[in-house]
Amino acid sequence: MISFELTEEQQLAQSMVRDLAAALRPAARQGDDREATPASVLDALWSAGIVQNQAAADGSNSSPILNALMLEELAAGDPSFAMAAGATMGFVSAIAAHGSPRQKNTLLPEFAGDKFRCAAVAIMEPDFAFDVAAIRTTAAPAGDGYRLSGVKSFVPLAARCDHFLVLARCDERLDAFIVDRGARGVDISEKKPGLGLRALETAAVSFDRVELGPGSRLGEPAGCDAQRLIDSSRAALAAIMTGAGRAVMEFAIPYVKQRVVHGAPLAQKQVIAFRLADMRIETDAMRWMAWKAASILEKRGDASRQAQLAYTYAGEQAMWIADEGVQMLGGHGYLRDNPVEMWYRDIRTLSVLEGAAGL
Amino acid sequence: MIDFELTSKDQEIIRLAHEQAEIARRYGDYYDKHEDELPPDQFPEAEGRPNPIVLAEETGDGSSGPRILHSLVMHEIYGGGLALHRARWGLGNTVLQTVATPDQFEKWKNHTIAIAITEPGAGSDPADIRTTATFDRETGEWILNGEKIFISQAQSADAAMVFSRFIAPDGSRGMTTFLVEKGTAGFTVGPQLKKLGIRSHDTCNLLFEDCRIPEFNHIKGDFKSTMSVFNDSRPMVGAMALGVARAALDFTRQKLAERGIEIDYRGGMRSRCAIADRFLRLEAAYEAALLTVMRSKWLEQRDVAPKVEASIAKAAGGKAARRITQGCIELLGPEALSEDHRLERCFRDGRIFDIYEGAGEIQRLIIARAILDYTARELR
Ligand SMILES: Cc1cc2nc3c(=O)[nH]c(=O)nc-3n(C[C@H](O)[C@H](O)[C@H](O)COP(=O)(O)OP(=O)(O)OC[C@H]3O[C@@H](n4cnc5c(N)ncnc54)[C@H](O)[C@@H]3O)c2cc1C
Repeated sequence: MISFELTEEQQLAQSMVRDLAAALRPAARQGDDREATPASVLDALWSAGIVQNQAAADGSNSSPILNALMLEELAAGDPSFAMAAGATMGFVSAIAAHGSPRQKNTLLPEFAGDKFRCAAVAIMEPDFAFDVAAIRTTAAPAGDGYRLSGVKSFVPLAARCDHFLVLARCDERLDAFIVDRGARGVDISEKKPGLGLRALETAAVSFDRVELGPGSRLGEPAGCDAQRLIDSSRAALAAIMTGAGRAVMEFAIPYVKQRVVHGAPLAQKQVIAFRLADMRIETDAMRWMAWKAASILEKRGDASRQAQLAYTYAGEQAMWIADEGVQMLGGHGYLRDNPVEMWYRDIRTLSVLEGAAGL
Repeated sequence: MIDFELTSKDQEIIRLAHEQAEIARRYGDYYDKHEDELPPDQFPEAEGRPNPIVLAEETGDGSSGPRILHSLVMHEIYGGGLALHRARWGLGNTVLQTVATPDQFEKWKNHTIAIAITEPGAGSDPADIRTTATFDRETGEWILNGEKIFISQAQSADAAMVFSRFIAPDGSRGMTTFLVEKGTAGFTVGPQLKKLGIRSHDTCNLLFEDCRIPEFNHIKGDFKSTMSVFNDSRPMVGAMALGVARAALDFTRQKLAERGIEIDYRGGMRSRCAIADRFLRLEAAYEAALLTVMRSKWLEQRDVAPKVEASIAKAAGGKAARRITQGCIELLGPEALSEDHRLERCFRDGRIFDIYEGAGEIQRLIIARAILDYTARELR
């Protein structure tokens, strides 16, 4: 039954995270400049319970819809910080949704405590024109387990992660493998800041013939439908891009009302006002698209189509919003005094990622 | 709870509407070529088939609600381009329902009433209308003079709700509405207008020359109440626009598949061909816009009377229909131009929705004023 109604719990979580995001906003520029997420931010994200909520040992608390709501709010504060929460969220919800009872029982409690913990889903690889349809990392059957080889790129907070969930080809199909950071052959490179999401401390992680036990395959012994991890990630990115687009719009509105050019506030010029109207139209549309994908995931339905459409649409529209946001501020938009140039970089980054966050 | 799944009741009614739209499609093609003829009240195939709009409006439990469902039914009907059952409801009926006295309502409740606002010198800005009614003290009648253009249902309606200036006996002036019945002396309906598309859509100009109207026909809709009928109809127009867009997408998907181009949603952008990628983006635009329609209709069902969301839905639907119908022809190439296929009519039909009932720019004015907290004077 078509409904946009939030439950009371969802409303509470949404407004709690909205306040948290506003409180974290002032640290965003510092995160970008110093190429690190401040420890205080990680602690704040953790103490808000965003991740632990899902970590009930049977996986029953994991809610893609709730996660989508929270990620949008966080991203409206700062997209990098949203990704910092979304990365571990992706790992935990993947275990909760697809893990065997043993995997859930051993891994989920690690994330239920009150100390910050970090793990990531590793999908992307350092190839130009990379595509999830052409993943090169392999897990070859070896003994009673597997031998993992390949390199994953853009792994969020890689140096802080305890585990990685690595997408790899295994007997012609895609599967996900739980790999401990300390396993022999795992090498985490220096963090490599790039265009955007610079606070996210992303790095490449290479797997050189890493020997994995039989229990490392997610959803042992049968494996999991790895496509669902990709779908979940696309829905998460759509929610984050919705929030990022909102950040730009909400920043631009007071600015153009106050900025006087040729004798009148910029906002009174239609070319500006109409672009803002389009930003509002598109952030709404992006949000409903992300919600729809999340709600299919929540019901464990086939979300591939909706997740793809939500992600593609959000990528298109959020980039447009960020671009026009910079333009509306003119030279001030180009300077690093304002956050809009940062969001412009962040959104280009978000819209080409796969797998770096999940619901 | 957030949910986007149609109930089985929803699906049943939508399936019915879809089936009727497919039957009506060939009539749509006929009237596209015979624009001076009016479609009948109902087509033979309507016999024994319930009107899905009525079913939608009457559903209660077990459905997503009457407003949502009605819009989804219109979405299906516009996919075929014509309804098997002609709409007996005009926007003039909405004015009657919201502002008429009980006696007035009783008298005309079974009439189809067109809405007549637009004039040669006043389209997007109805405050500029020149049509004027003066009061004749001797007979107690109003005398109406003026011209209305582009009026939907002009020929098929029983009456028109005419938005007009008035000069009252005491000299006071303002804007109001009069219900003018067909056959009233001094009221003439012009010929069918020649349009780019939606040629089965009855559209004419109206002329009022010393047209005398009894005081009882003074419905007294003011500017605000008359314009507020669009809060309900705007998302509906979005749904209709997207019905045309969906018909174009369905056809294009099928023809691409016949050429071996399947749309894969699993891989990423760099694993699909350019045509599939462009199709997928058009499909995303369709889905996104349809959700804004659902959102507005959902709010309406909760008695929220959305204004900004109604404008969002219309602007999104109108824009998506333009982009999608243009894009589908481009994807399928020259063969898609032929009148033998569906797309050329979709392309022409799909262009109206961003124009009537407040063009896209007018919707953006409404949205922008709301988010900038500006009055109509500050942003126009
Ligand atoms: C098939 C059809 C059916 C119709 N049915 C009806 C009907 O039943 N009843 C009725 O009363 N009318 C009807 N109309 C009229 C329709 O509502 C008007 O055509 C529409 O409102 C636009 O007015 P206009 O044509 O005068 O264009 P204009 O007002 O001249 O506008 C021209 C362009 O300028 C833009 N524009 C206008 N004002 C602004 C502004 N302030 N800022 C920026 N841009 C602006 C518009 O968006 C538009 O793109 C119908 C029209 C058609 C084509």
